[in-house]
Amino acid sequence: MQRNVGATEYASIDRRRFLRGSAAALALPCLPSLGRVPVSPAAGSGIKRFVCVYFPDGVPMPLREDPAFQEWSWFPHGSGRDFQLTKVLDVLEPLRSDMTIVSGMSHPAVRAVHGHSNADQFLTGADTGAVGQYRNSISLDQLFAAHLGEATRYSSLVMSTDGGTGTPRGAHTVSFDRKGRAIPAEHRPRQIFESLFVHRDGDAARRAAVSGSALDDLLADARSLRSSLSEHDREAFEEYLDAVRETEQKMERAKRWQRIPLPKVDGHGLDLEVGMDAPRAYFQTMLDLVHLAFRTDSTRVATYQVGRENGVGHSDHLAKAVGFPLAHQLSHDTKNPGGWKNFGIYCRFLAEEVGRFAQKLKDTPEPGGDGSMLDHTLILFGSASSAFHLSRNYPLVLLGGKSMGFRHGQYLNFIGDDAFGGSWNGGTEPWQREFDKDDVPLAKLYVTMLQKLGVETDPFAGVTGGIDGL
Amino acid sequence: MPPPLMLDTTTLRRIAAVLCAGTLSLPAQSEIQDAPSSLDEIRRQGAQKSRYLAPEAGTPEPDAASGPDLEGFARDIEPILRRSCYECHGPDEDEGGVRLDEMDPDFFAGEDVDWWLDVLAVLTNGEMPPVDGPKLADEDRARVIDWLSLETQRASTNRRASRAHSSFRRLTRYEYDYALQDLLGVSYDFAADLPPDPASEDGFRNSSETLHIAGSQLRTYLDAGRRALELATVTGDRPTPLQWSVSMRDLAAREWDGQDQQLDKVRKQHEGDPAKAQEEVDKLLARFRNPPGGTWFEDAASGRKARQSWGYNGASYARKPSEELVDLPAPSDHVAVVTPNSSLIVELGDRVPERGPLRVRFRASRADGDGRAPRVRLMFGWQASNDSRSLIEVSEEDVVVDALPDAPAVYTFEVPISRIYPRNLVRGVHKLGDLPSPSEYIRLAHAGGTSSPVRIDHVEITAPAYDTWPPASHTRIFPDRKPNEGEQKYARRVLEGFLPRAWRRSVTKQEITQKLALFRRVRAECESLQEALVEVLATTLASPNFLYVTASDRKEGQAEGAAPLTDAELATRLAVFLWCSVPDDELLALAAEERLHEPEVLAAQVARMRADPRARRFAHHFVHQWLNLELLEFLQVDRKLYRNFDAKLKAAMLAEPVAFFDELLRADRSVLDVVHADFAVVNERLATHYGFEGVEGDDFRVVPVPANAPRGGLLTQAGILAMNSNGEDSHPIKRAVWLMERILNDPPPPPPPAVPEIDLADPEIAKMTLKQRLEDHRNHAACMSCHSKIDPWGFAFENFDAVGAWRSEVRGQPVDASGTLFNGQTLDGVDGLKRFLLGDRQDQFVRGMVEKLATFALGRPLVFEDRAALDRITAEVRRNGDGLATIVTTLVQSDLFRSR
Repeated sequence: MQRNVGATEYASIDRRRFLRGSAAALALPCLPSLGRVPVSPAAGSGIKRFVCVYFPDGVPMPLREDPAFQEWSWFPHGSGRDFQLTKVLDVLEPLRSDMTIVSGMSHPAVRAVHGHSNADQFLTGADTGAVGQYRNSISLDQLFAAHLGEATRYSSLVMSTDGGTGTPRGAHTVSFDRKGRAIPAEHRPRQIFESLFVHRDGDAARRAAVSGSALDDLLADARSLRSSLSEHDREAFEEYLDAVRETEQKMERAKRWQRIPLPKVDGHGLDLEVGMDAPRAYFQTMLDLVHLAFRTDSTRVATYQVGRENGVGHSDHLAKAVGFPLAHQLSHDTKNPGGWKNFGIYCRFLAEEVGRFAQKLKDTPEPGGDGSMLDHTLILFGSASSAFHLSRNYPLVLLGGKSMGFRHGQYLNFIGDDAFGGSWNGGTEPWQREFDKDDVPLAKLYVTMLQKLGVETDPFAGVTGGIDGL
Repeated sequence: MPPPLMLDTTTLRRIAAVLCAGTLSLPAQSEIQDAPSSLDEIRRQGAQKSRYLAPEAGTPEPDAASGPDLEGFARDIEPILRRSCYECHGPDEDEGGVRLDEMDPDFFAGEDVDWWLDVLAVLTNGEMPPVDGPKLADEDRARVIDWLSLETQRASTNRRASRAHSSFRRLTRYEYDYALQDLLGVSYDFAADLPPDPASEDGFRNSSETLHIAGSQLRTYLDAGRRALELATVTGDRPTPLQWSVSMRDLAAREWDGQDQQLDKVRKQHEGDPAKAQEEVDKLLARFRNPPGGTWFEDAASGRKARQSWGYNGASYARKPSEELVDLPAPSDHVAVVTPNSSLIVELGDRVPERGPLRVRFRASRADGDGRAPRVRLMFGWQASNDSRSLIEVSEEDVVVDALPDAPAVYTFEVPISRIYPRNLVRGVHKLGDLPSPSEYIRLAHAGGTSSPVRIDHVEITAPAYDTWPPASHTRIFPDRKPNEGEQKYARRVLEGFLPRAWRRSVTKQEITQKLALFRRVRAECESLQEALVEVLATTLASPNFLYVTASDRKEGQAEGAAPLTDAELATRLAVFLWCSVPDDELLALAAEERLHEPEVLAAQVARMRADPRARRFAHHFVHQWLNLELLEFLQVDRKLYRNFDAKLKAAMLAEPVAFFDELLRADRSVLDVVHADFAVVNERLATHYGFEGVEGDDFRVVPVPANAPRGGLLTQAGILAMNSNGEDSHPIKRAVWLMERILNDPPPPPPPAVPEIDLADPEIAKMTLKQRLEDHRNHAACMSCHSKIDPWGFAFENFDAVGAWRSEVRGQPVDASGTLFNGQTLDGVDGLKRFLLGDRQDQFVRGMVEKLATFALGRPLVFEDRAALDRITAEVRRNGDGLATIVTTLVQSDLFRSR
């Protein structure tokens, strides 16, 4: 499936071509639409990218008999190629032929855990539990990034609105490394921009030599301290040693990239200071940065957690973009008059911005290749809960990636007609209930996605076999 | 503390029975009826119920060696539980999932200790059995509480000696920042690039449980450390300072030109009609004499005024600097008049240097002789294009312009340029005059708060304005190199000076040798000696020896829990606790002499540290984390409903709890003042909000709470009430849960993750007040048991709206601020709540305060093993009057603080 091309060699040839072609365009990061570019799926640059946009707190799931069912259900009505988008996702209609909506999938391990704890495992499928001991595993994006090796300067871009790692079961990031440790997400546009495009050191070769010695020295310090620690502390301290090793690897990578100049991008036209006082602009800027990182081929992997679960935090204010004070509250207020609609309007806003981002990729011809950048980029847009805190039937949208062989324009409706929905009536919460029928394990989809991304992995998160029809 | 007494269990139990007796009077309905008149009186009476204060309450070391008292449990306790509890929590029913008959009464090795602690709490608080349940006689209750308390103490002491509980952790983001600033003597936000730290469940951000380090972080530490050292040190000769000497005469010239052009235009328009022309000219001249508002220039001679104009385009307002330093010229008759909340802008072009001090002097006076003196702050900004701009306040404190109109004085700001962020992005890329514009500016901004404008006639900006060269921050790291001193020798001297300060302990020869080896490797890559040394020192600042606090190295054969800290570790723990930073030279010297642990020395150091300005960080960070003031930072208030809510009020709300805490700490006031105090710490904006009179200005100060004002203490502070509302209306549940978690230290059972769903579609319900809705909701059996424990605490605050202002009506109905707790206790309004807390819950509150401070001080979650120590601290604190500073001192002197 995957052509066995030496990643480095291949990437460097392509990059030079790419940079020449794009330097002028980069001065204007916010390009007007370039119009439709003819797609020829047969050929292609071979470049594959992945981005995950995760949002918290589930989606509107009014009951069938509810007047809001027709208009404000998140999931479309129908199935297969015959489906109608509701008002929540109709903003994605122009991208219909580039997308697949999926219902009835979830990770099995934490189906009985409250939805607020489950952003952590969305991309990992790990059994992160409800209380006590916490263990996670590598996330899909990082697996793909590892597969790409050093094809790009940076292995991945990890972002969230709330920043940092958050806490176990309260993650502020959806990316986890090989040891299952949270990778801190960056939340400030300027820092993201500068980390991608601004040179910090004049003399990179010298810097690398000095840093190499420094890291050796830190390792010596760490080992000597470690020997004096108790067993309990030693375990906690392990992560420092790992940090030294990881920094070493990154440095090695940077060293190999030294000779290739950074793409010239001035941040002009991007509002890098934007914050939660302008939530829509902030959301757009974050996705624009992904677009920019992809266009400059600085990386081919990105994750963006739109918000932490359970409200409280910067991200809760994103709802101001559509005139509501707090986002998380909307998922609770669905029983109030107009509640489904309000929640739906918010989810629609998220879909609209992701759609705008996808459209932008679609309007950008793939540099040095065929088709649009969207054809070479797989977008996963979703959440780890559906109805009120229920960790089943994840709302999922796949966009783009046609050149990888995705057959889009469909609704893979695994849940059928009996999706659990409705407002919470104050009794047992949906996540505490017993269910007769189980969802399809989401990792099946992930296996298919990874395979189309060129990663021969099976199983993922202990689940084997992909899914048909995609 | 008395030497430990060895007593047999029976004697101990007898003592404990006496200790607990005070808590037994079932909460105090009887007392409410003949309620004493003042809260002070209630507070005095409440103290008499304290088990910590009971005359017999020596706190003997409980005998932990004899193991669990299972026999006593079977003989004395189980029969009581069987009679009064098993009906609902036994074989037939497991109400709330609790079955007492299945819980293991072994506190030493059993796994049900947490459940037993809940049992102890509900019995002590009189919450069980329920009013309509089986009876539990007072003496039986006493016997159970007594047994549980003692068993808890014994087991906790026993477990402490044998179990690991670690405070080993890295510095938090803010501690790292302060540590570099204090160590190097430079001001900068060194933590800017570090990811935010997560908060633990109880809100603390310095917990060993939650502080991790990610791969990408190490690089950030290395970069930030190098950046810090580069900012602290200098190379080469003293840089030539640039000076912008700007008279208002010069600055105004452009505006006069503009006015002259307008005059010319009018004259030209009416060329044929001299009378008309004169009339129009006179009209204009009259207009030019009117104060235009904002910031304007004034020519005293002619009385002419013109508003200051500014535009970023083409940098046409930029002033040219000179390399020659000149004295301030004599005062001129041209002034700029800066009215409240407006500012004078001086554009500087693109030559403001990268670093060094930026000094701004300006000659000014107040425009009015009476009233409050105006204040001025320094802002720094730039605008590159339409959508790319920045304007930030860079002065740390306002300057008070107190000079009278006829005697202007010179005022000075000095800020490190390195602290200014962000600088103009296109500086050095685009030419001055081009777009996007690389130019930058300063603003002298009137801080408001008085009606008097500021008059300025001259502004002088100098940068970099070094007083000494090299600056002290440099020589502290790099002393003068002696003649003929070899590089290796000098490097060793630098390391020997720097490392003990950075690592907060003496360093071994081997460690120095290791760093010298690094120096040799790095030296080969660097052009200069200093550059190489900066690299080496930066490495020591990313070392775990700098980044981690309280290493837990233990001596062979010593139980971990009991191992005392070394003096050096104690110095670090103290500094991290009270300064959120690293120890200073005095602490390190005492630690090196191994004297710091001596009780008098330690007490003296705590007193010194409390008086140091760095102790403000403790107040700030502890209060923010303890109270979760983040809720207030994130609060959005509906401005349509609360028109008088503004940024200034919000800022004052955020500052009040910290200022209040600071006052308790400064004056060692009783922490019961948190519940109620007869004073408040407010500034003018808050005083206005509260309806207090006679408070002027932005500074916080202590004022008496006026008679009959429903304020005093922390619970009724506007910010606390507002942040536990939803921006539109009060929120009794949020307020109640917050109170239980943060103040009573008794979090409600894991709340349903949902705000209760209330059927607003039901027209009957839509008409109700929020309180009525909640009561309606509470009538559902499923919700009842939790909510009756929670809601009344919140109802008591119903007289306060969503911005914490007093109200007597809500939705046209009179406020009903009363509620009845599960145990039958009535809480009637905030006064009733205060009465209850002061009368019946003093021990719980003080003990809670001790726990919160201990959690913060140790940087780890408290565990069962700590309970005995916390009880001892609380007893001592209570005996000494509950002062906040007393808690801090007692805590620092305790074994808990002084061991790992």
